[in-house]
Amino acid sequence: MKTEKKMSRRRFLEANLAAAGGAVLMPLLPRLTQARDANDRILVVVELSGGNDGLNTVVPYTNDAYYRHRPGIAIQPSDVLKLDDDFGLNPGMLGFERLWKSGDLAIVHGCGYANPSFSHFTSMAYWHMATPNSGDEFGWLGRLADAMAPATADNMLINIGSTQSLAVKSRTHTPIVFDDPQRFQRNGFVQAQRVLDSVAGRPQQNPGGLLNPTRRFLNNVARSARSTSALVRRAWADYDTPIDYGIAPLDLPKVAACIASGLPTPIYHVSVRNNAFDTHVQQPALHRRLLSYACDGIHGFIRDIERLGFGDRVTVMVYSEFGRRVPENANLGTDHGSANVMFLAGKGVKGGHYGEPPSLTELTEGDNLIHTLDFRSVYATAIEGWLRQKVGDEVLKGSFATLPVFA
Amino acid sequence: MLNKICLGLFVSFGLTCAVHADWRGDLTPIARSDWQPEHARHLLDRAGFGGSAADVRAVLDRGPADAVRRFVYFEGIEQQVLPPFEHSGVFDEGLDPFPPSRPATTKLAKVNGEALGVAVKPAGNRPVQPVVNKFFYWLRASRLETDRVAYWWANRMLTTPRPLQEKMALFWHGHFATNEDKVRDYRKGLKQLELFQSEGLGNFRTLMIAVAQDPAMLAFLDAGVNIKGSPNENFAREIMELFTMGVGNYNEEDIREAARAFTGWNYTGLEFRVAPELHDDGEKRFLGRTGNFDGEDIINIILEQDATAAYIAGKLYCYFVREDLTPALQARLGAFLKGNDYNLAVYLGMLLRSKDFYAPESIGTRIKGPVELVVSTYLKTGLARIPGVPDFNTVTGSLGQRLMHPPTVAGWSQGRSWITPSLLFERGNFVLDMVFPDIAFVPPDRYPGYGGQIVTVHKRLRQGMDITAATKPAGVDGGADMMAASNLLADRDEAFNTRYGSYRGWQMAIERVKPISRHTARLKLTEQVRQAELRTPREVVEYFVDRYFSVAIDEETLAMLAAFFEAELGTNDIESAASYMEEPLRVLLHVILSRPEYQLG
Repeated sequence: MKTEKKMSRRRFLEANLAAAGGAVLMPLLPRLTQARDANDRILVVVELSGGNDGLNTVVPYTNDAYYRHRPGIAIQPSDVLKLDDDFGLNPGMLGFERLWKSGDLAIVHGCGYANPSFSHFTSMAYWHMATPNSGDEFGWLGRLADAMAPATADNMLINIGSTQSLAVKSRTHTPIVFDDPQRFQRNGFVQAQRVLDSVAGRPQQNPGGLLNPTRRFLNNVARSARSTSALVRRAWADYDTPIDYGIAPLDLPKVAACIASGLPTPIYHVSVRNNAFDTHVQQPALHRRLLSYACDGIHGFIRDIERLGFGDRVTVMVYSEFGRRVPENANLGTDHGSANVMFLAGKGVKGGHYGEPPSLTELTEGDNLIHTLDFRSVYATAIEGWLRQKVGDEVLKGSFATLPVFA
Repeated sequence: MLNKICLGLFVSFGLTCAVHADWRGDLTPIARSDWQPEHARHLLDRAGFGGSAADVRAVLDRGPADAVRRFVYFEGIEQQVLPPFEHSGVFDEGLDPFPPSRPATTKLAKVNGEALGVAVKPAGNRPVQPVVNKFFYWLRASRLETDRVAYWWANRMLTTPRPLQEKMALFWHGHFATNEDKVRDYRKGLKQLELFQSEGLGNFRTLMIAVAQDPAMLAFLDAGVNIKGSPNENFAREIMELFTMGVGNYNEEDIREAARAFTGWNYTGLEFRVAPELHDDGEKRFLGRTGNFDGEDIINIILEQDATAAYIAGKLYCYFVREDLTPALQARLGAFLKGNDYNLAVYLGMLLRSKDFYAPESIGTRIKGPVELVVSTYLKTGLARIPGVPDFNTVTGSLGQRLMHPPTVAGWSQGRSWITPSLLFERGNFVLDMVFPDIAFVPPDRYPGYGGQIVTVHKRLRQGMDITAATKPAGVDGGADMMAASNLLADRDEAFNTRYGSYRGWQMAIERVKPISRHTARLKLTEQVRQAELRTPREVVEYFVDRYFSVAIDEETLAMLAAFFEAELGTNDIESAASYMEEPLRVLLHVILSRPEYQLG
């Protein structure tokens, strides 16, 4: 990718203004968050959608019970990437093995919640809202952004994906949601730009004087799109990397581009598409491949961020809506389960194991792991330990102990 | 004359609706005396894909009772035969059953000496390569043929005299979501679509049982591997959670027991088949009942639950009427559906005639899904077939709704989730691509859109490079240390080369899959504007808003648009600009249809 000399943001906006015909400078200016400190920290949340099989991810390769439960799909001791005397990684996870060796990977065992749901959609919603067996209108990252910046800002949250995740839904902020940065652009002829950018001033009413809330929603999204798309496109155009992110890098190069461009966004969310980790049938080859993609992407991202000089400011958190059943099923696959491993990765992380690995002999009635740690403790660790935010109980709807993952 | 009626539509809007008492929750039929043009338009938008000014007029003249009967029962519509899907003929014996992955295929080939109807070479380099080529051939061919199925369906949506039939098929396609990426057989996807078209307005019981025995669904939810002694719960879980009752109305044991009842359900090719030896015919306890249940019994018990009727009735309501549904109204709707033995036409007929459906809270408050947006835009523009440029599947896919490819088993989330900042732009960009076709367009059913890798391999091979050299990934710096694991893996097995197979598979596929016609939209905006006898830029703006929009636009915006159009024309006299106004009209249409308000339907 070409690298051109960076235009200053101000010059860039001026150029935009000239192209737009002059009259609309103010609406084009994003409502930026307060100038953020150069040491401000960034949290990148990665979702492994579909229910990643934690047991075949961080493999308890010296535990006989593991091999008894999974005669057909267990990963043999000779195949695991050994971490220590108890655990080894799935052989596809070379990227994570490298992070582990450099001390940049924290593995958190036994994460889950009481009375787990085995529905993808329900359980994922619980993880998004951080309200197991309950509900909330907003996502935990959205509420975190609300707590961090009470005034409306256009770039508190960036969610890369084809649709917006519930995790970033916020009362105050409109998250920046895009899939392909190059397509995050309003196409049109120069003389039409001003009219294309116009958004009705007042939320319009339906016949009968009825307020139409969907109409107000659409107008807000239109304003957000107008003010942020140029910044994102420019970030992507300016970005170039020699780092190998692997075959399917989970949109993480786009995150690196946004960070490299100096966007002050503290919270990012990306996810694996199409529930890919839902490995009911013929799991081993597929799961290994999925993990290699994810770990290559995350490893590449961490190295890229170091290269860009942001290594000390970025942490990646990895989660999935549930783990999978301990015994394999009849189809060389696994069914929906409960507790799971989570990961935190980055230069700021003290590498190692955290939490208590669940027992493989004492299972729930449906042959599932009994969780040993509420997943919201890991969220709290990211909020307090990493982002250093004192946000009160509002964000996680309660108070949760943190883990000593960050110095 | 026509345009006069339509131009008056929004003017009359405020007055007519303001006098109504609250119609929310009122399921009694709208009276003929209350029947207004905006109601006719609303019915056309929701029960189909919109209509022309003439369509609005016809529905208005018919009155609510006749108009709804025509939508629901096709009353008075000639038995018109729409052309069936025209197969390219890409399927070969030996491709079914298709192994779950490339590794599974090559393993099979090594064990049996052949797979997918192709033999392993007895000697020589890369002996399994022909099998791998065939594997990729079918992956590509089935996907490309599926894209043709989607085109065929989109053309039906555009041209059918029975729009509700296609709208219901679209609803069920999102409800009983299966994705070609997993099913990997366009024939199964087509068969399922035809089921939705034929039974979508019939009886929900018939439909549910047919779906549970549908090869695409059985393949998608791994039901084929649900066997006695080790039931696979995926199928039973999704039937209850997503297709019938919703969470909270059953427990994990109900899922396990239902899974036992479905054991042995499988398919051969395109036919449903029960394998008696794999079916668990023991006693099951399900939702408080005990018996020697099979799959149909389970579905019947599920349909006895009030929760099922309420779930289906409520989901249809949110799709056709509006998203804020009170639990009380949902219970009433469920009781109605169940009371009519799950007859969907009766239920839809009631819903589409109800005052609630025509309440101001229902009109223009729903965000159009991508397929609806694209098809209705073409329809309201007066196109007779879906253009090949832009590519329909690429457009709807980038807007978040690629037909035959719902993202998960839960289908597409409706409503606000269709809109993000980026997607709002994409919606406007689609209109630009309709009015001014992209001359740099590359047909995605000929040119491989897989990151350019296939093209790179193709070029290198033709330059005389060997397969190993030609298939090496390009553009990666550093040694093996810095190479990602997924890139190291690609060439490990000497028996075949995956990247070469991917390239040959594409080549073989485009040879056999019929190309999609790449005609562009032929717009005749000048002709339409002249026929409507419009005289000023302002009248043209109002004409477009009236023709395309479900909500009114504020005066300030109308004035801005009219001023913009006048500047483009260089005059405020339409007649004198007639010879050159096609291009300004198209620029104006792009601007108008890019507005946030156009997303409402």
